[in-house]
Amino acid sequence: MPLAIGTTLSRRRFLTLTGALAAGSLALSASTLWPRWARAEPELATRLLRLGRDIYPHEAIADRYYLAPLTPLLEEQRELIAAGLDDLDRRARAAHGRDYAAVDSAAEREALLRQIEDGEFFQAVRNTLVVGLYDTPELWQAHFGYEGSSWEQGGYVGRGYNDLVIDWL
Amino acid sequence: MSTRFEHDDDGVVVIIGSGAGGGTLAHALARKGIKSVVLEAGKRYALEDIENDEWAMFEKISWLDERITAGPRQLTETFPNLPAWIVKGVGGSTIHWAGVALRFQPHEFRLHSEVGEIAGANLLDWPISYEELEPYYVQAERHMGVTGEASGMPLHDWNNNFMVLAEGARRVGYEKLRAGPMAINTRPYDDRPQCMQAGFCMQGCRFGAKWSTMYTDIPRAEATGYCEVRPNAMALTIEHDERGRVNAVVYADAEGKLQRQRARAVCVAGNSIESPRLLLNSHSALFPDGLANSSGQVGRNYMTHATACVFAEMPKPVNMHRGTTFAGIISDEARLDRSRGFVGGYTLEVMSLGLPFFAKFMDPANGGWGRDYAAILEKYDHLSGVWICGEDLPMEENGITLHDSRKDQYGLPVPIVYKGDHPNDEALRRHGQQQARSCYDAVGAVRVFDVPDFPTSHNVGTNRMSARPEDGVVNQWGQAHDIDNLFVSDGSQFTSSGAENPTLTIVALALRQADHIAERMSRGEL
Ligand SMILES: Cc1cc2nc3c(=O)[nH]c(=O)nc-3n(C[C@H](O)[C@H](O)[C@H](O)COP(=O)(O)OP(=O)(O)OC[C@H]3O[C@@H](n4cnc5c(N)ncnc54)[C@H](O)[C@@H]3O)c2cc1C
Ligand code: SF4
Repeated sequence: MPLAIGTTLSRRRFLTLTGALAAGSLALSASTLWPRWARAEPELATRLLRLGRDIYPHEAIADRYYLAPLTPLLEEQRELIAAGLDDLDRRARAAHGRDYAAVDSAAEREALLRQIEDGEFFQAVRNTLVVGLYDTPELWQAHFGYEGSSWEQGGYVGRGYNDLVIDWL
Repeated sequence: MSTRFEHDDDGVVVIIGSGAGGGTLAHALARKGIKSVVLEAGKRYALEDIENDEWAMFEKISWLDERITAGPRQLTETFPNLPAWIVKGVGGSTIHWAGVALRFQPHEFRLHSEVGEIAGANLLDWPISYEELEPYYVQAERHMGVTGEASGMPLHDWNNNFMVLAEGARRVGYEKLRAGPMAINTRPYDDRPQCMQAGFCMQGCRFGAKWSTMYTDIPRAEATGYCEVRPNAMALTIEHDERGRVNAVVYADAEGKLQRQRARAVCVAGNSIESPRLLLNSHSALFPDGLANSSGQVGRNYMTHATACVFAEMPKPVNMHRGTTFAGIISDEARLDRSRGFVGGYTLEVMSLGLPFFAKFMDPANGGWGRDYAAILEKYDHLSGVWICGEDLPMEENGITLHDSRKDQYGLPVPIVYKGDHPNDEALRRHGQQQARSCYDAVGAVRVFDVPDFPTSHNVGTNRMSARPEDGVVNQWGQAHDIDNLFVSDGSQFTSSGAENPTLTIVALALRQADHIAERMSRGEL
């Protein structure tokens, strides 16, 4: 991690400890599982999270699974992300009179994102998430029914690779 | 460890690449007592390196050196640096490959004669017929352990994914439905275990149930004492003497130091992008346009198969990820039948992807996100998929050229891989998508959707075979028309792409070429 970012983080973490976090609208219990930077910068984290959750909306998946894969992106391209989020808020204010995260309708937020989907900022976030979020083994079974690595159990011989009954017709 | 040959030993055959073509050839030559040195750009892997993890394996073994994707297709935007999916490692793409092992059909060797001229295409008959290759198909099937008659192994049981597609296919009137043939053991065969239906065939088979030169031909060739494999050895140029016969290969070793291996003959088997690239890079005063390129055809006629992917959400879970990746094949459309509005045929091959790949590949373009996208992913376990593998017509402008200024880590010009579609490819693809959709609709799909192309895994045609030297690069033995001790031993020698996956044909050609080389050596001609 570049030194500059490390320094920023520790300063922010100090702010967190002094109570900045409690001022946010976040449930503290869930956010304790957030990556460090996100706990240190709840405001930025919340904005990025709203975006990530709109790109791949899965109600039941906890925030930290969105934030974890975005962490390296934020470390490497912080300016791009911050500027992108600001631009998004500007667009939201122009269209709906409020910040992006405050636009209630998911459809309206998606429509805003469709305008910027070809841009560098959006692509960076999307590309990071599409690879990172869905490559999280803890989520596979519960949310998608994907079982992942199977050689340890001797594959699926005798474990349902050919057990389908097509009874839905 | 294995035998070592001196750099100035001019009695060795130098083979470039250790995949389907090069690995098979090295083994076949070694069994005949012919010495070879295999130069392989990638590392050596052990079975324990193989993980059931899609991204981890992709990053570990794929060819990720810079390549430029060019041409009028979406891939230039979605994968600007990854036109093709190929392995860089001992074993080549036979680590990634999924094991579908189909023969070409007799008419596919003479498509030009069958259909005549087609505007915009550079069609040509192969200088070899199905009948000539047939004994080598049988040999290749035994050698690789292809389920079916030649090996005596039964076909696989149908997995869930194929049951869904096949039931739909039956309802639309298809009859040629089979779980194979595949070079994946259904019972122990040739010192390899039976398939455990683990479902990660394209990441490498951790059990070794699938044929791969990584753990079959290469170690066996080495064990004979007639073959030395040098991993981390990237061939840079092929050299020749003043008479124009090749006599050495210059390569970069693991430390990046240049080495020169003398050679009695050179066999190029670097897959369809690197093989022509190497020939083009080996230009000299005698061969100013590149080695073996008096026809101007080196790097041209690049074919990838006309493909598309269709996925369907079924009313109940399918668990497509269980069992072999390409568990079943439908061949009814592989025939030649112009009434469909295109020449050439296609096979429908049931296919699965794990969630990590599926999330990325369902729509790799910028628009691949949002509520609908996520909703499909939440139905991952209800999905079934099919891949269309269709005849791609050769076009002269499709091919490999060298970038003017961009260099890779070896100091070589970066290859530009240009590929456009012939209208025939588009018509074939549309037909295939429509038929796949009908199959899934017939079996009660909730929704069916097309999935765009991803980086191609079937790469053929850039050093094609031809009867006349003016039309292609090599003759019916894979021997360069211009240089009689230079051979092409991989998929780049294909004259046409057929409707079948290429590897069985690559192996059959390599076995045949080994016989030819041995004969010519025994006659003192090489
Ligand atoms: C994911 C995937 C699935 C596939 N599934 C199937 C399937 O089911 N059925 C089928 O028939 N085919 C399949 N294929 C295609 C099959 O793998 C290839 O057709 C086949 O391996 C090509 O053989 P080849 O000898 O031409 O090249 P490869 O097997 O790719 O071998 C080329 C080797 O040469 C090395 N090399 C390249 N340049 C140099 C150089 N300059 N110096 C030294 N070494 C070099 C490379 O590192 C590589 O190891 C699949 C491929 C992939 C990627
Ligand atoms: S399904 Fe069979 S061939 Fe494929 S990886 Fe598993 S064991 Fe190997």
